[in-house]
Amino acid sequence: MEFKTATPQERRQYYREEWDVKDVPRFIRDSLYQREFGFDHYGRGPNDRYKVFRNSDYLRKFMRVRTPFAAYSSVAFYEKPNRRDGWLKSELVFDVDAKDLPVRSCECGSVCEICLEQAKEIVRDILDTLQGDFGLKNIYTIYSGRGYHVRVLDEEVMPLDSEVRGQIVKYMVGADVPRSKYSRDGMTYNLEHFTIPFGYPRVFTERVKKSILHLNEDIMLEDVNKKLVKDVIKNRELILNNQWGPFKNKKGPLRYKKLIKSLAFLNLSLVDAKVSIDLKRILRLPSSLHSIVSMKCTEINNLETFDPFRDAVPKFVQERKD
Amino acid sequence: MVGVSFINPLSTEGREKVREQGSLENLIHDNPELIDVITRDPNQKISEDNEIPRNYLELALKRLEWYIKKKNDREFKHTKYSFLSNPQIEKFDLISFYLLSQAIGVKFGPNSRESRLMVESQGSLMEHRLEELNHRDRRELILKALQELIRQETVKWIFFGDLLSSRKIQLTDLVLDQGDVILDRDEFIMRFGHRLEHRNPEKMYQLLIGEEVQQLILIRMVMQETENYISNVHEKARMMVEPNPILLELAERLTDILREPTTSYGYSGGGGGFSKSGPLHREAFPPCVKSALEGIKSGGRNDAIVLFMTPFLSYARLCPDIFRQNVTVRVSDKDPNLQIVHHEILPMIYEAARNCHPPLFEDQPQEKVNINAKMGFGMHTTLKLENEGETKWYTPMSCEKIKLHLPHLCRPDQHCKKIGNPLSYYGLKSYILRQEQPKLGARNDSTPGDHQENKQDSRANNKDGDS
Repeated sequence: MEFKTATPQERRQYYREEWDVKDVPRFIRDSLYQREFGFDHYGRGPNDRYKVFRNSDYLRKFMRVRTPFAAYSSVAFYEKPNRRDGWLKSELVFDVDAKDLPVRSCECGSVCEICLEQAKEIVRDILDTLQGDFGLKNIYTIYSGRGYHVRVLDEEVMPLDSEVRGQIVKYMVGADVPRSKYSRDGMTYNLEHFTIPFGYPRVFTERVKKSILHLNEDIMLEDVNKKLVKDVIKNRELILNNQWGPFKNKKGPLRYKKLIKSLAFLNLSLVDAKVSIDLKRILRLPSSLHSIVSMKCTEINNLETFDPFRDAVPKFVQERKD
Repeated sequence: MVGVSFINPLSTEGREKVREQGSLENLIHDNPELIDVITRDPNQKISEDNEIPRNYLELALKRLEWYIKKKNDREFKHTKYSFLSNPQIEKFDLISFYLLSQAIGVKFGPNSRESRLMVESQGSLMEHRLEELNHRDRRELILKALQELIRQETVKWIFFGDLLSSRKIQLTDLVLDQGDVILDRDEFIMRFGHRLEHRNPEKMYQLLIGEEVQQLILIRMVMQETENYISNVHEKARMMVEPNPILLELAERLTDILREPTTSYGYSGGGGGFSKSGPLHREAFPPCVKSALEGIKSGGRNDAIVLFMTPFLSYARLCPDIFRQNVTVRVSDKDPNLQIVHHEILPMIYEAARNCHPPLFEDQPQEKVNINAKMGFGMHTTLKLENEGETKWYTPMSCEKIKLHLPHLCRPDQHCKKIGNPLSYYGLKSYILRQEQPKLGARNDSTPGDHQENKQDSRANNKDGDS
């Protein structure tokens, strides 16, 4: 499928014939009046900001008349959203953009089935950790058009500040190397992250495992030379089989330490962290059109069966003749 | 066994004991009972009479002096302060804790250096007192004190929101499962025992959680409570007509105590030695700033120029020791007619914006307004003195925040390991360059400050932008 920018006619067709305001997820429609909306009418960024809709009907009319290039709504809830004033709370968001993945299995340069699948895999891991470790339940997954948004609306996380959100992101992606020295009764013990099958060490091990499995020889890793990258690729079968001990022995303790430190840093780019820590971010509105790639930003009911090339393609793309 | 109030003065037991002591009229008069406890302490090695705190006020000051000296003075001898870990000091120590917290709350407030010092010293004193106990007593005391603070069978991670927010603990310090923080041994074994192969679950619990994590949480919670208490006092004091003169006297003497380490050992935080402002010199910029000056690709341009470069360049030029000063300043305090802003700072910010791909102002000219706003001059197209104060002058992002906001800019060199904020890097590197090239220092109208390569004051080093 070709990712081509939607024409103004195609946008009109989409918003007037295919789009329904009921496609906007309920978690947004229910809080419409507390959210700021932003629009990009000309493909130059969302500069029509501070919009507020009292109810779904106003939003429906606006979209049908203006057929925007892109539509966004805030993750924040405000007392006065038209002035972005009186901040009440914000969704906790993770933005996984397929085109910005730090290690890619494809060479597409933009987005393709391979990197979108890789992005989906990251989303799966994030969901697993959000539910398993953090016990969060009110989570929505959105296909953004070029990747995925994970949006958490559990009441207990919504008031959190940027600092805590930053820590959650780092936990989620495995951006800090877990400590390996533990002490008890004056004795120090060495416990590597891969020997602890729960909590943050487990999350870190899983994220590093995936990064290693996706590594290619062209990757530039901080403080890691080409030879070590080659060695890692050569021995990654061991990681695939969870043979971390032998893998570490083959690399040697110092090289292994350098490697995981560098991968921890790389992991930070699995999501766009600034989206997660920004309390007043606007995010692409689910159900709206990602006009650059002519795909629908859409809520996902079942991540396993979701196929963006089947479920997020607007009718006008299927009808295109060229 | 010692009471909970010995490590947590804010516990119910601590508050009751303070109430029981009734009138506090003799706070500044010699207290023979207190002097007796101190002089009879078998571990003390006090050689001079003036080293003995003779009343509650002096004991309160000794509490902080102990912490400052321990942290900064290479000649520090704990034996001169051993009375602080003697359980018999408890009832006097409780009063001095409340006196200190109230004096700081009344005079300096919760965001002051004094408050930070008080909170840190309380944490450090708790740690020390716990270490001095035998293993069994320590374990029992930690459990008892924690039970009072947590009061729940299982505790959710969100319960520690304040501690996480103030970075007193990190999420990765905790063992999480289904939203619960696992602290209890049986809980640990029930949830994780079956997942452990070839390892003894009991031993794993002791290593991964055990006393160490419980102690960490306890200490950090009491530190947070101390901070909250100071904050509450501060709020109440704002409505008071006249604060208690004893508290004001204590606050004044506290200032003297703090002044000494600043001159003697350099206590005051910050990683560099750049105390005066001077023209910007690029060779002292950290790698992230150098990289941003060369230009940023589309996607991270706005944050890099507006949120990162603008605060960094403006503070580096006008107020490089902002984290050390711990005060709020305006641009015009340092550059009254805005000549430096217009002729040195903005041109360099604009240069970085021009080097972006595509140049930032070509498609987003409105970002010039945001740059003005981040320097405190409101949302206006022209930066004018009359608009100053409409917005805040953002302080530079910490390294931690840069890693989250602009990870591609963070390419640390050997100096980065010693600092937590690019501004501290600038101070440190400027100092190093001045040592290497004495002429550079003279040209830049700057004087070496208290050069420290350690991370004494993590809060200053990690200080984030006001975003």
